Amino acid sequence: MIQVEDLQKLYLVHRRPPGVWPALKSVLRRPRETVRAVDGISFSIAPGERVGFLGPNGAGKTTTLKMLSGLLHPTAGEARVAGFIPWRREADFLGRITLVMGQKQQLLWDLPAEETFELNRALYGIPRAEHRAALAELVDLLDLGKLKSVPVRQLSLGERMKCELCAALLHRPAVLFLDEPTIGLDVSMQAALRAFIRAYNERSGATVVLTSHYMDDVLALCRRVIVIDHGKLRYDGGLAELARASRPEKLVAVRLSRRVAPADLSRYGAIAEGREDRVVFQVAQEALRDRVAQILAGLPVADMTIEDPPLEDVFRDLFAGKKG
Amino acid sequence: MRRALQLLGAQLRVAALTSLQYRADFFADGVMSLFWLAVTLAPLLIVFDRRPTLAGWTFPAALLVIGWFTLLKGVLDGAVNPCLVAIVEHIRKGTLDFVLLKPADAQLLVSTSRILPWRGADALGGVAVLGFALVKLRHLPTAGQAAASVVLFLAAVALLYSLWILAVSIAFWVVKLDNLVYLFGSIFDAARWPVSVFRGVFRFLFTFVVPLAILTTYPAMALLGTLTWRTGALALSGAVVFFLAARLVFGEALRHYTSASS
Repeated sequence: MIQVEDLQKLYLVHRRPPGVWPALKSVLRRPRETVRAVDGISFSIAPGERVGFLGPNGAGKTTTLKMLSGLLHPTAGEARVAGFIPWRREADFLGRITLVMGQKQQLLWDLPAEETFELNRALYGIPRAEHRAALAELVDLLDLGKLKSVPVRQLSLGERMKCELCAALLHRPAVLFLDEPTIGLDVSMQAALRAFIRAYNERSGATVVLTSHYMDDVLALCRRVIVIDHGKLRYDGGLAELARASRPEKLVAVRLSRRVAPADLSRYGAIAEGREDRVVFQVAQEALRDRVAQILAGLPVADMTIEDPPLEDVFRDLFAGKKG
Repeated sequence: MRRALQLLGAQLRVAALTSLQYRADFFADGVMSLFWLAVTLAPLLIVFDRRPTLAGWTFPAALLVIGWFTLLKGVLDGAVNPCLVAIVEHIRKGTLDFVLLKPADAQLLVSTSRILPWRGADALGGVAVLGFALVKLRHLPTAGQAAASVVLFLAAVALLYSLWILAVSIAFWVVKLDNLVYLFGSIFDAARWPVSVFRGVFRFLFTFVVPLAILTTYPAMALLGTLTWRTGALALSGAVVFFLAARLVFGEALRHYTSASS
């Protein structure tokens, strides 16, 4: 569904030191430098896949999504989305994709969301019967019953994002580019949107490419992740494999029924986190079984959990260039 | 063409619905239109109070120019300027993304993205001034003269729109164009006078560079029956050339759209 080959986007930016004199000099002469926003990345995504497109701020995620949705022309490289070259912006292509941006909105601010839905029906040329069916399905999935007739400016951020998703999906796109769709939402609304995206993907078989800084989004939705940093591809593969490769240790969290001297604790492995009554040991996968038995036998354990390292730590390692 | 009309209809529907949300605007805009019509007429009344003709134009004939000017101002304030402001905002905020993501002609969508129907109240004033001028002139235009003036007025709208698209295209490179509306308004203001009033550099400027003559003087001359077919055809050709140039430049400008960072 998506093929990307050596895609590049370079920007010329003007930089100058602070102060009046550099500002005056910059009127006459503007030294420019090239910023490699996307620096030769290649990957492909199969129909129906849900892929997390991850990286720190400024990594080139949004620039890539904008090239794949036809908004930006690349400096070099090739891409095909649903069989089309995106930046040619053919009507058939635009009718098969959608881009949802958590920080921008297409809804008509002064009117109820249903007027945006109607406008999009006309813009996408959706037959009325088809539009009614799609709208009914999305209203049901997103629980928009009463919201759609309230002026957009009176909706909460989460309610607006639900309506945004509805407006973006009315034409039943085959490819969804979701750029931080849950940003700024409360925990329950984030969960509701994740459930919706998963359900939509399973029902329609649409391909989903998601960027998010919330690891819960990635965990809930994406088995595969593509990680870029400074415009370069750093990882493309399974999320579980990434976690195992980056942080092979398990975290064994133990709640103690009485205090134990730190020297006695360190005999059971490296301590990732230690408080008076709670200790977290870092234990290698292969030693896990034996080490858990030793801990249970040697320490006054009131409670024990075994966890994978947090994804945030995995990505911190990756971006710091440790592994991966 | 059918698709373009459908899109235009959809955009106009949204514009009407948005305007109806704010009823007070309707009355405010109506009062402001009357005020600006008086302001438009004031210089003309002062000039013709002291002399019978101006550059060969009598007071009622010059009123015809004012009539077309006011009609065109209705189009400018009701459709052109609001869209100009909207697109510059879209480019600055990066929300032009949503326009470009739609499977429709981007130029058509941005050109109709914010229409304020009530601001078009000027247009009604313009029609009233045209009627009053014809009565004062005791001149009933022939069907041919009326048709020619309407066609030239449509050419004037196309020209005005093209100038606007060319100006907006600059925003893709410069991004911040706060004074563009004022510049545009100031130049347009000169179109209230018959073009023969201007001499020297201004005559050349307003005939060939910013062809204000096409905007108001030629439709008025067509209504009076004093415009030659040759001049009319040249005016039409000029409007077509500006329209095509604007389309080409806008297409090229879109390629330079960088969107705003999220």
